Amino acid sequence: MPLIETYALTKQYPRVTALNALDINVEPGIIGLVGANGAGKSTLIKILLGLLPATRGKARVLDMDVETEGRAIRGLVGYMPEHDCLPPDLSATEFVAHLAEVSGLPRTAARERTAETLRHVGLFEERYREIGGYSTGMKQRVKLAQALVHDPRLIFLDEPTNGLDPAGREEMLDLVRRTGREFGIAVLMSSHLLGEIERVCDSLVVIDAGRLVRQGAVAEFTAGLGSLEVEVEGDAAALAEALTKRGFEARGEGFLAHVGLNGDDPYDAIRDCIVELELGLVRLEQRRQTLEDIFRPEADEAVAERV
Amino acid sequence: MSERAAGSIYDLGYRRYEGRRLGPWDAVLSLYVHGLRAAFGLGRRTRSKVFPMGLAVVAAIPALGYLMAAAFIDIDISDAIGAEDYFTSTFFFPPAALMLFVAAVAPELLGRDQRHATLPLYFSRGLSRQDYALARYASMATALLALTLLPQALLFFGNALVVDSFGGYFQDEWGQVGPIIGSSLLISLFFAAIGMVISAQSGRRAFATIGVIAPFVFLPIISGVLVGVVENFIGRLGVFLNPFFVIDGFTYWFFDAAPDIGEGHPLNTADFAGGWYFFFALAVTAIAVALLVRHYGRRSL
Repeated sequence: MPLIETYALTKQYPRVTALNALDINVEPGIIGLVGANGAGKSTLIKILLGLLPATRGKARVLDMDVETEGRAIRGLVGYMPEHDCLPPDLSATEFVAHLAEVSGLPRTAARERTAETLRHVGLFEERYREIGGYSTGMKQRVKLAQALVHDPRLIFLDEPTNGLDPAGREEMLDLVRRTGREFGIAVLMSSHLLGEIERVCDSLVVIDAGRLVRQGAVAEFTAGLGSLEVEVEGDAAALAEALTKRGFEARGEGFLAHVGLNGDDPYDAIRDCIVELELGLVRLEQRRQTLEDIFRPEADEAVAERV
Repeated sequence: MSERAAGSIYDLGYRRYEGRRLGPWDAVLSLYVHGLRAAFGLGRRTRSKVFPMGLAVVAAIPALGYLMAAAFIDIDISDAIGAEDYFTSTFFFPPAALMLFVAAVAPELLGRDQRHATLPLYFSRGLSRQDYALARYASMATALLALTLLPQALLFFGNALVVDSFGGYFQDEWGQVGPIIGSSLLISLFFAAIGMVISAQSGRRAFATIGVIAPFVFLPIISGVLVGVVENFIGRLGVFLNPFFVIDGFTYWFFDAAPDIGEGHPLNTADFAGGWYFFFALAVTAIAVALLVRHYGRRSL
């Protein structure tokens, strides 16, 4: 069963088209929703939650129609908004327990789940203090806790690492990973940072200006796209030339050559070429390509187009 | 790192929630109870309690004073305060306290969720926008009902003390309970509806509070001019512009009592049957609540 499906989903505002005939189909897991600011990530999440009506098209979440079965969907999902959404004069415990009750948990169960969930996100004694005195990192944890407290099957996290320092980012990403892997809750997480998505997510959906750029498993994007970095004593350019003749993608400069891993047995070829050219091999290292490498040119183009 | 280590000692791992899940009605109920507590500042800082609690006391002061006086000195029965008079404009203090209570609490109930952007957290749960609007309205109306019924109860006991036979008073005046509850309920629903629909328009507390107070100050002035100066049917209709006179009108109708007011009083000048005030208040309440629900139904997040 697909987790989320959309068919020609379109959201038109008077001045902008936020989503443009978007077709998405994702399976359960941790899904990354990537796009530049203003690409339509938040709009998509809000439509899936039924907070915004779509202009055209259909969307299904957990195999239920967003338009007609919105209430049932909202009972099974959690939502962590991008912006601040916490009252400063309540304690985290009070606020999260209140929202748990609004989600339909009986009072005692709501209290128990609140204590457990706040502990899971790493809030301990401070949970009895007023939220107004919390750091950004602690507030983000409360926001995550309120999305998890009623034990949803899917949570929508809109830019969960927004405003966090590097250490806070790490911890939040770790929490997201645990939510998906250990807690067994499907996650749709939006971010404009590919690096974050790559480290946490199983699959990703890339959108730009309301259009789908690509979707699929993260592994698919990075597999087969690695390269070898070869450091030699001697002319790396000559090595690259020799390898290119044998049908590899290679380029060299100074003492360093980069060889694509797409051909037939590159390691043997490199060894043979080095022997032929009488070069000394210093280092041979595999470099995995990152999503950043793949999308950087596309993203740059997209930006250029809009300008 | 020490934090994580401390956590792992007690960490039993994530456990799924297999317990009972209540229906949407219970979700609305919990929102209603939470709102009712918030209306009086319960579970909040002391600062949040000062205004609502203070105004509740102000609304009850005449009744409280009367009760204490009745307990210690002899009051002639002809000087007794009737339940039908308490929240009318002749007494001024109690209805003014109710109005200020709405102006203080309604912007707090609705404005907090707007200012702190908590609405998306409510609307992304199994709660509809209509549910939210109605639950908040119900909290406001119930808080007002408490404010109107408490002085009435004090007054009832005070009057029982004034007459010689305590038990006899209860027997004789039992028929007052219906009108007391009826008029208090309509006052609460009427004030709450007006206060909430105005408060919903602005998340800024100061604006919302001024917005609620303004019609209660300016409409009576316009109403007075219309009724006093324009001597035709249109002018007489002006009496409905004054919310306090509307309350006077339907309260006397509930108690089936003739108001003890002078010849020149606008209520007498306008000379409408009490039932008209009742239906007018009902209509205003219904329209205001419908507008409130529509406002939240359309609100973009």
